[in-house]
Amino acid sequence: MSSKSQGSNKKKATSLRELGKRMKPWSDVFVLFVLLCLQVGCSPNRDLVISSPANQDQSVSSPSNPDLILLLPDPDGKGGAVTVTTGGGSQILDKPGYATEVEDVNKPPLTPRPVSENEIKNVFGPALSAQPDPAGRFISFLLYFEHDTAELTQESKNLLPEALKTIKNRKSKEVYVVGHTDLVGTEAYNIELSSRRARHVRDLLVSSGIKSSSLSVSYCGKARPLVPTNDEVPEPRNRRVEVIVR
Amino acid sequence: MFDRKYGNLGRWFLGLATIFLLLFVSAEFGHSIASPAVATIQKLSGTATVVRQGQSIPATMGLEIWENDTLRTGPNGSIGIVFNDDTLLSLGPESIFVIDEFVFAPREGKFSIVFRMLKGTAAYLSGLISKLSPDSAHFKTPTASIGIRGTRFVVKVAGE
Repeated sequence: MSSKSQGSNKKKATSLRELGKRMKPWSDVFVLFVLLCLQVGCSPNRDLVISSPANQDQSVSSPSNPDLILLLPDPDGKGGAVTVTTGGGSQILDKPGYATEVEDVNKPPLTPRPVSENEIKNVFGPALSAQPDPAGRFISFLLYFEHDTAELTQESKNLLPEALKTIKNRKSKEVYVVGHTDLVGTEAYNIELSSRRARHVRDLLVSSGIKSSSLSVSYCGKARPLVPTNDEVPEPRNRRVEVIVR
Repeated sequence: MFDRKYGNLGRWFLGLATIFLLLFVSAEFGHSIASPAVATIQKLSGTATVVRQGQSIPATMGLEIWENDTLRTGPNGSIGIVFNDDTLLSLGPESIFVIDEFVFAPREGKFSIVFRMLKGTAAYLSGLISKLSPDSAHFKTPTASIGIRGTRFVVKVAGE
């Protein structure tokens, strides 16, 4: 054993030396290559432009002109919320048409207030009219379930053909199936329940001729209610599977 | 082997070929590590520019936007972009907006949005990332951080 390995070591050594000789003309090439890489690879001033005056002034934004965050109605009509957090505290915006203002990074955001259509138009008109057309985006369907089951409500069973039609019309190869529950029960139980619901819908779609390769299934348990409630509150609108068709 | 057959000329040719090959490979890698397109410009009026790695590019319809790009609009400018996950983002006049992070890789389960508004007005309509990975979208201003749960909102930042 040992002699064999010695022999191969010797061989290795000679071949390394030969390699060294042969590689000699290559060493210049290598140095050149390294130099070129250093030049090409890094662009050291990527962030230079960003240090605008706005950055330096961030702690002295004047109270007369506070920053403002305003929730708008979602075109899907499926609710939604934003949480605004500063160094001083946070506010949840969950009513469309309400805004919170921030006077200073160290102060909490102000209590949300309603904003008039006029004010919205005055301040955000140009930004809103520059918003690209949402028509080409994904379409999403909400399918609801009976309490504590993976059984679709009758209404949702009736909606299924429409979802199928949309998938087929769009020739979609990107369909997301996301399962949810309401807030009754433990997290672990609801993870399992939401997974069962999502798989049930997936199976329905597949048996109706949708390729399983174009379906992505995921589930959130009770973590993402559509209608925020306290824990242990039964809420039919949260027992759902969302089918998102792209 | 080669040098015996082709002599010095062959050696040089091989050397050059290798340089080109390595340069090509490193450029490819450099590209994928730096910034592939994450969005495109779909609406535009007035002046707007994209600042990429220190260089200003005039905004044009269809122009690709990369991670780490900064968008700026002039006094009468506005711009609207569509991200790979269908998130819609538009800016009003005199705005500065930075895409710190955008990752949409559903097959790998990777999702992330970090946007930064330095100045001006913006409208945001969330896309697939907010639906598939609710806690992955963040929108920062100089004074606040906005957590987004699948919705549409507007922001005004006084800036200077």
